[in-house]
Amino acid sequence: MRELRFHRDLYRGEDVDAALKVYARFADFERAEADDAWVVRVRARGAARERAVAGELANYALGLTIRGRG
Amino acid sequence: MTSPVAGVPSSLVEVDLDDAAVQLRIDESIYPLEAAYSAAFTFIDRCFVFLDRPQEGALRVVLSTKDPAEGGEEALRALVGEFANELLACAWRGRITRDNRATIEAVTMQAMAGALGPPSLDELEEFDFTEEPFEDPLGIAMSWEEKYGKKKPDPDEDAEGEP
Repeated sequence: MRELRFHRDLYRGEDVDAALKVYARFADFERAEADDAWVVRVRARGAARERAVAGELANYALGLTIRGRG
Repeated sequence: MTSPVAGVPSSLVEVDLDDAAVQLRIDESIYPLEAAYSAAFTFIDRCFVFLDRPQEGALRVVLSTKDPAEGGEEALRALVGEFANELLACAWRGRITRDNRATIEAVTMQAMAGALGPPSLDELEEFDFTEEPFEDPLGIAMSWEEKYGKKKPDPDEDAEGEP
């Protein structure tokens, strides 16, 4: 299981959610909220797949956040 | 487990060879968040990029190779070095834009106004031609005749010469 903490100052929650929808079919995700971050736990078949999906998810969320800032 | 990179302060850069990742700590007072975003955006096609804020005023960028097999120490060192260069370029570009915002906006507005075409008769009618002309110390705006034309004889001088 791999955990990603998307800091609220740096990522928009709606962009993290949008990324989760895109990658929903590639892994199992568990979403939680911390005081300072959106927490996403990634579970997939094998560590390599977990790493790849988590990385692509993070990139997607980052890309959306940056584009959303104009 | 993270370890320092040769030739770089460990407080700034650390590698995690197990995860084929390298992390860079950024001082936001030197590299604004917008510069970090700009640099990160250019790297998301070649590696995984993750931003974090370990404390107020600081950012952490984690770069991971998409293929773990390509995440050796030298490759990660090169990756973070390139990112640092891009970060510097983005910060500099941001500063130039900020410092010259007024000039850029003025030039852009003039270009757009020019693209709209010549003024209409109604706009000319509303224009205030009594405005003071701009200063022209080098005489660039003077017409040829004004600058080099013959001087007309002064009628007062002729009157003085007469007996």
